[in-house]
Amino acid sequence: MSTNIIEARDICVTFGTGSHKVEAVKNVSLTLAAGEPLGIVGESGSGKSTLARVLAGLQTPTSGQVYFNGEPLYKGHRSYTGEARRQVQMVFQDPYASLNPQLTALSAVSEAVRIHNKCSKSEADVKALELLRQMGIAQLDAVKKPRQLSGGQRQRVSVARALSANPSILLADEPTSAIDQSAQAQLLNLFRGLLHQGLAIVLVSHDLGVIRYLTKRVYVMKDGVFVESGDTEEIFNHPQQAYTQELLASIPGALGAAVRNQKHAS
Amino acid sequence: MSEQNETLLQVIDLKIGIPHPRRETLIIVDNANFDVRSGEMVGIVGESGSGKTMVCRSIIGTLERRGAKVLGGQVLFGGQDLAQISETNWKKLRGKSIGYVPQSALAGPNPVLTTQQQLAEALRRSEAPGTIAEQSRRLLDLVKIRRVDTVMKQYPNQLSGGMRQRVMIACALASNPKLLIADEPTTGLDVTVQSQIMQLLQEIRADFGTSIILISHDLALIDDVCDRVVVMHAGATVEVGSVTEMVNPKHPYTLALNQSRIDIAVPGSELVTILGNAPSVGEWNPGCRFVERCTFKEEDCKVGSHPPLFGERGSHQSACLHRDKLKG
Repeated sequence: MSTNIIEARDICVTFGTGSHKVEAVKNVSLTLAAGEPLGIVGESGSGKSTLARVLAGLQTPTSGQVYFNGEPLYKGHRSYTGEARRQVQMVFQDPYASLNPQLTALSAVSEAVRIHNKCSKSEADVKALELLRQMGIAQLDAVKKPRQLSGGQRQRVSVARALSANPSILLADEPTSAIDQSAQAQLLNLFRGLLHQGLAIVLVSHDLGVIRYLTKRVYVMKDGVFVESGDTEEIFNHPQQAYTQELLASIPGALGAAVRNQKHAS
Repeated sequence: MSEQNETLLQVIDLKIGIPHPRRETLIIVDNANFDVRSGEMVGIVGESGSGKTMVCRSIIGTLERRGAKVLGGQVLFGGQDLAQISETNWKKLRGKSIGYVPQSALAGPNPVLTTQQQLAEALRRSEAPGTIAEQSRRLLDLVKIRRVDTVMKQYPNQLSGGMRQRVMIACALASNPKLLIADEPTTGLDVTVQSQIMQLLQEIRADFGTSIILISHDLALIDDVCDRVVVMHAGATVEVGSVTEMVNPKHPYTLALNQSRIDIAVPGSELVTILGNAPSVGEWNPGCRFVERCTFKEEDCKVGSHPPLFGERGSHQSACLHRDKLKG
């Protein structure tokens, strides 16, 4: 039986005050087991990205606590340092904005390697090249700057950079929404390989097709709360909430069509 | 359905390049070939950089603004060759007979204009009856915006992505065009909003008989809403056919695209990916430009010029020399 590597309890995040107050996440609790692929799905504005940022240690929750291996993460101004900082890594939505345009892919990854490991620059470069190679980026492309790389390649550089810390959890916030279909397939294959290596992946997305492909368990989020959660296949086959059904029916292609036809029949 | 079969737009052997004062002209599109019949929804699919947006720019005459030029071929629309006409004639066509919905809903509308002003600009040349205010309301109704009064006074930053895209579609529809080009209209929008926008486009087509060109890299989406599919790779059309014909592709690129779809994949199984990257503009190899990534390649694929589309125009066409190998 695997243990829960992350446990988030009663997370609330509010932005602004008075009439501008926005409750982005309201009393949300979730667990993540070691090596588990977990999905969080919802529309824009549902609070899924904010929640991911809380889990990654980038957004202090207004109330509630995240436990990493039983240790609370947010404890005053020295929050989320040390081990947890290294073990939880994040890949962001926009591969065009999340890489430094001045650095080559190699130096971006090598820099991260040196931050997380004590090693010389040349050792870091070797390790970075190896990471990039695992991500399917050849040496020829590794010395290119982000603008010379395709969206899919950039996203894989971001993943390589996240992996340089040798994390146990990878948080991916809409990693596939800005890249095209074949690049998406490449990235998902990579994620699948990482899962086999025992990495836990939290996939945040509005695309249920991606979620179904990769995850075993999913939380459906709407207006800052979880409306439904459980086994991914179960939710796909028997969605309980009207909102989940609507999300399923919107998936382009064969998946959504099945749900749409069911709806018409009933 | 005789009207369905009438050809509205013909793109024939289109070649687009970017001239350079000192260096050689950079060819970005070569061998683009497809037809759009009236009342038809055609999907153009291809990777980033495959030239799909450039082809569409040649249809709305905004190539020159990007420094590009039509170097050969024809774009026939209602008997006129759009590749040849002057800017004055463009002004009579653009926005009137051909509407355009740009790629980015978030950057599309002018940020300093309210919806009302934005629509008024689009309606300036409209010949439809009624005042501009009346017409604006009609357009917003058409794109299913409910709180018309509020939205009219709002600036783009006050609207959600889906609403902004609806406003852009309303602008494109201002003078009831015969052809509407939607360039990745739902990139960056949620799946739920995406399905609403797609439904809207289908209703527009059904109600007004508007032909629609939908550009997307999502084959599943095109499968859902389009009648025919045009597949582009490295500046060339590699396959054209109806959605049902595309179930059995005749070009290895389409085959690979089909197999990389996640909506038909078994969860957790290895997804098929396309080897390598499409050759960049200016680095096209001789012969078929897909050859480096192809699993069906033979020696004759690597020589000569890029293969043309084989088969009769209007039928299921493929630009693969060994298309027979793909059958079954």
